Amino acid sequence: MARLNLWRWGVLGLAGLYFLVPLAASVVFTVDVPGQGITFDAYTQIFSTDGFVSSLLLSLELALATIAVVLLLMVPAMVALRLGAPRLRPFVEVVCSLPLVVPPIAFVAGLGTVLKWGPDHLSRTPLFETFVAIQNPDFPFVLVLAYVVMALPFVYRALDAGLRAVDIRTLVEAARSCGAGWPQALVQAVLPNLRGALLNASFLTLALVLGEFTVAQLLGFRPFAVWIVNVSGSQAQLSVAVSVLSLLVTWVLLLVLAGFGGRTRTTSRG
Amino acid sequence: MTATAVRVDTAPAAQVKRRRRSLGWIAVVPLLAFVAVAFGLPAIAMLDGAFTAKDPATGATSYTVDNLTASLKGAYLTALLGSVKLSAVSAALATAFGLPLAQAVVSSRFRGLREAVLTASGVLANFGGVPLAFAFVATLGNAGVLTRQLGLTDKGWDLYSFWGLVIVYLYFLIPLMVLTITPALDGLRTQWREAAQNNGATGVQYWRFVALPVLLPTLLGGFVLLFGSAFAAYATAAAMVGSSIPLVTLQIADAISGNVLVGQENVALALSLDMVLVAGLVMAVYLPLQRRSARWLA
Amino acid sequence: MLDTAATVEFRGIRREFGPTVALDGLDLTVQPGELVALLGPSGCGKTTALRMLAGFEHPDSGEVLVDGEDVTRVPAHRRDAGMVFQSYSLFPHLDALDNVAFGLRMRKVRTAERRSRAAELLDLVGLAEKGGQFPHQLSGGQQQRVALARALALRPRVLLLDEPLSALDAKVRLTLREEIRRLQQELGITTLFVTHDQEEALSMADRVAVMHAGKLEQCAAPSELYGRPATAFVAEFVGTMSRIPGRLADGTVDVLGQRLPVDGPVPSATEIDVLVRPEAVRVRAEADGKSRVVATSFLGAAVRVTVRLADGSAVKADLPAHEAAELTAGAAVSVSLPERPVLVAERTS
Repeated sequence: MARLNLWRWGVLGLAGLYFLVPLAASVVFTVDVPGQGITFDAYTQIFSTDGFVSSLLLSLELALATIAVVLLLMVPAMVALRLGAPRLRPFVEVVCSLPLVVPPIAFVAGLGTVLKWGPDHLSRTPLFETFVAIQNPDFPFVLVLAYVVMALPFVYRALDAGLRAVDIRTLVEAARSCGAGWPQALVQAVLPNLRGALLNASFLTLALVLGEFTVAQLLGFRPFAVWIVNVSGSQAQLSVAVSVLSLLVTWVLLLVLAGFGGRTRTTSRG
Repeated sequence: MTATAVRVDTAPAAQVKRRRRSLGWIAVVPLLAFVAVAFGLPAIAMLDGAFTAKDPATGATSYTVDNLTASLKGAYLTALLGSVKLSAVSAALATAFGLPLAQAVVSSRFRGLREAVLTASGVLANFGGVPLAFAFVATLGNAGVLTRQLGLTDKGWDLYSFWGLVIVYLYFLIPLMVLTITPALDGLRTQWREAAQNNGATGVQYWRFVALPVLLPTLLGGFVLLFGSAFAAYATAAAMVGSSIPLVTLQIADAISGNVLVGQENVALALSLDMVLVAGLVMAVYLPLQRRSARWLA
Repeated sequence: MLDTAATVEFRGIRREFGPTVALDGLDLTVQPGELVALLGPSGCGKTTALRMLAGFEHPDSGEVLVDGEDVTRVPAHRRDAGMVFQSYSLFPHLDALDNVAFGLRMRKVRTAERRSRAAELLDLVGLAEKGGQFPHQLSGGQQQRVALARALALRPRVLLLDEPLSALDAKVRLTLREEIRRLQQELGITTLFVTHDQEEALSMADRVAVMHAGKLEQCAAPSELYGRPATAFVAEFVGTMSRIPGRLADGTVDVLGQRLPVDGPVPSATEIDVLVRPEAVRVRAEADGKSRVVATSFLGAAVRVTVRLADGSAVKADLPAHEAAELTAGAAVSVSLPERPVLVAERTS
C-alpha cells in the first residue's frame, strides 16, 4: 500500500512540476524584467494598451453570437431528431462530425477562396453586398459562420450526452398530457432538463472562440488571440501577462460553470 | 372503456406521428442548410482549387494534378513529413505519460484532486494555442526565466528545435490524453483485478495481461486523436516566431499569404487537401477503436 | 476427481470499515467437501467473510485457516481458492477458452496443455462449443458458467461463490443452481456460497450459516434450520413465521385457548410470542369466531390466508385450496395450533 502511494505521489509530483513551472515562470517573467527589477508594469499597462479592449470585446461578441447561432441551429434539430426522425440521426451525426476531418487551417484555406469569389465573380449582384457585409472588420460575421462550423462536433457531443440522460419523449408526452402545448412542453419541460448540456456546449464554444487564432489571423481580422500575437513583438512582457491572465480567467470561468451547473461535468463524462 | 379509447386514438396517432416526422425535418433543415453553405462551400472551393491551375500567360484556368504533385515535393514534402514526425513523437510521448497520470488521479481517494485535474485538463486541452506558446517562450525561450536561471543556452538548449516543440505540444496533448483515458480507467472493473489475482496473477501480471490489453483500443484511439490534434495545430507554432521546424500548417499559412511561386497559387489548397486526407485517415482508424473499447468498457 | 478436499476455519474474525462493524468475531468451520451457504440480509458481513478467505480483505483480528494452516497473511494471488463473482468478472478481451486458461497462463503452463485443460473444463460446465466466443457474445448464465470453469481451472482446494446467480433471471437461476451443486458434489470440493436468497441456500447447501450483524446466528442443515431455528432471528429470517401472543406459566404456554409445551429453552419472561409456520396453523370457518380473514392469496397447491386475531395480531396460514374456498376476506374464523411443542420468543414490541 505504502509503495503504491509513493508511486502515485511521484507521478503527480512530476506532472505538477511540468504543468505548473511554465505558469509560475511566466508570472516571474512578467514581473522580473531584466534591467528594471521587479515591476508590475506589464499588468498595469494592459488596459491602456491600444487594441486590448476592442479586441477582447470583439472576441466576446463573436463568442456570444456563435453560441446563439450554434444553439439555435442545434437544439431544435437534436430534440426533433429524438422525437420525430430517429432515422436521420446517424446522418446528422456524420454531418456534425465532418469539421473534425478538416483542420482549421485547411478550412480557412477553402473559406478564403470562397471569399475571393466575391470580387471576382459576383461584383454586379446583390450577393456581393452580402460578401462585403459579412467581412466588416467591426464585426466580421464570417468568423461567426466559421466558428459555428468548428464548434459543431463539440456541441453535438455535449447535447447528445445531455439528451441521452433524459427521456425526451416521455417528458414531452407527460407535459402534453398535463395540458401543455408543443412550444410550452419544449420550453418548460425539455430545456430545463438540458441545462447542464446547454451550459457545457456554451462553455466549449466560448473557450473555442476566445482562444481561436488560425481562422481570424489568416482572414485578416484582429480578435483577442491575434492581438496578443501582434503585440508580442514590441511588448513581450505584456503578451505573456495577458496569456497567463486569459488562461486563469478561462479556468475560473470553468470552475464557476461547473459549480453552477452542478452535475454538468459528470453527465457529460458518463 | 379502454378498448374504445384505443380505437378512437388510432387515427390521430398516425397523424401525430406524421406531423412529428415532418416537424423533425423542419427542425433539421436549417442545420443542414447552414452546414452546406458555411462548410460545404469552402470544402468544395478547396477541392476545386486543389485541382485547378491558372496559366500565368493566358489567365485561363484548367484542371490539373500539378498542385498536388507540387505539394508532395521539395519544401512542402519536408514540411508534411516534419508535421507527421512531430505529431507522432508528441502523441506517443503524451500517451505514455498520460496513462500513469490518469491512473494516479483515478485511483486517488481525494475527489477534489480528481475534479481539479480533470478541470485543468479541460482548460489546457481546449484552450492551448497562443497563451501556451507565450508561457513556454517566457519559460524556456531564449530570454526565458529557466533558460537564464539555469544557463540552458550554454548547454545547447533551444526551444525552437524539434524537441522544444515536442515539450510545448505535450502541454496540451497530455491533458487531452488524460481526458480521453479517464473514462476507460473508470471502466476497468475491480472484479477483473480480483479475478486475475484469484487466478494467481501478481499486480504486474494483472497490468500486463488484463488492464493494458483491455485499455489498448482506448490507448490506440487516444494516440490517433492526439496525432490528429498535433497535426492540425497551427496557433502554437505560429506564435513561436523563429521556429525553424518546417510544419505543413505553417507552409499553408505562408502560401495563403501569397508566398508561393508563380503558377502555384493553389498549392495551399492542395496542401490542405493533403491534411484532410491525413485527418480522414486518423478518423478512420479512431472510430472503430472507439467502438470496440466502448463495447468492452460499457 | 479431487484428492484433498480442505477444511476451512474462521477463528474470531473481526473487521471494521470506519464506524460499521462488518464482522464481529466470526467463528465457522467448514468440513472437507461440504457446501456451506452464508445466508443473511445485506450488510451482515457474509461477503466480507468470503473475500477474506480469497485474500481480498484482511481481518483486524482473528485468523483464517485452510487445513489447519494460517493463511491470513498469504496474498490473494497465492491463495488456493477459486472464486466466482457476482457478475461481469470475465476478461472482455479474451474468449471463453482463454478466460478459463488465464490462471494456467499465469502459472506458465504450456499453451497446448492449458488449452486442452481449459477445453475440458468448458465441457464440464456444458459450454464445449462456446470456447471461441467473447464474453459480450455470451448470455448472463453462460458467462457465469465460464466464470465457474475459470475458478476451477487451477484445481483449488476451496471454491468461493459470491452471489453468482443474483444477476440472472429466475429460470436460468434454477438450472444453474442445480448444476453448481452437481459439479460440487462430483468434484467433492469444499465450497462457500454467499447468498441473500434463502430458497437458494436451503435447496443447495449441506449446511446453511445464517449471519446477522457480523455474527453467526446458527449453522445447521437446512431441515434443522427450518424446523428448529436456534434464535428468533433465524426463525423469522428463514421461511415465513407468524408471532402469536401467549402467556408462559409452569413451562407451558397459554395460546389461542390451548396449553402447549415449549420447544427448547424456556425464557424468563411471562409475556411471550409463540412462533408458528403457516403450514402449522389451522383455520376453520366459524360463524361466531372472533378472528377475521383479512386477505387470501393463491399459491398453487395451497392458499395463504392472513387472519387478524381478536387482539389485533396477524397470523398467516397455508391451507389446501379446497378448504380455503369459503374463506373470503371478512369471514369469521377460529384459529388453532396442533398439539405439539411450540417455539417461543420474547416479545419485541
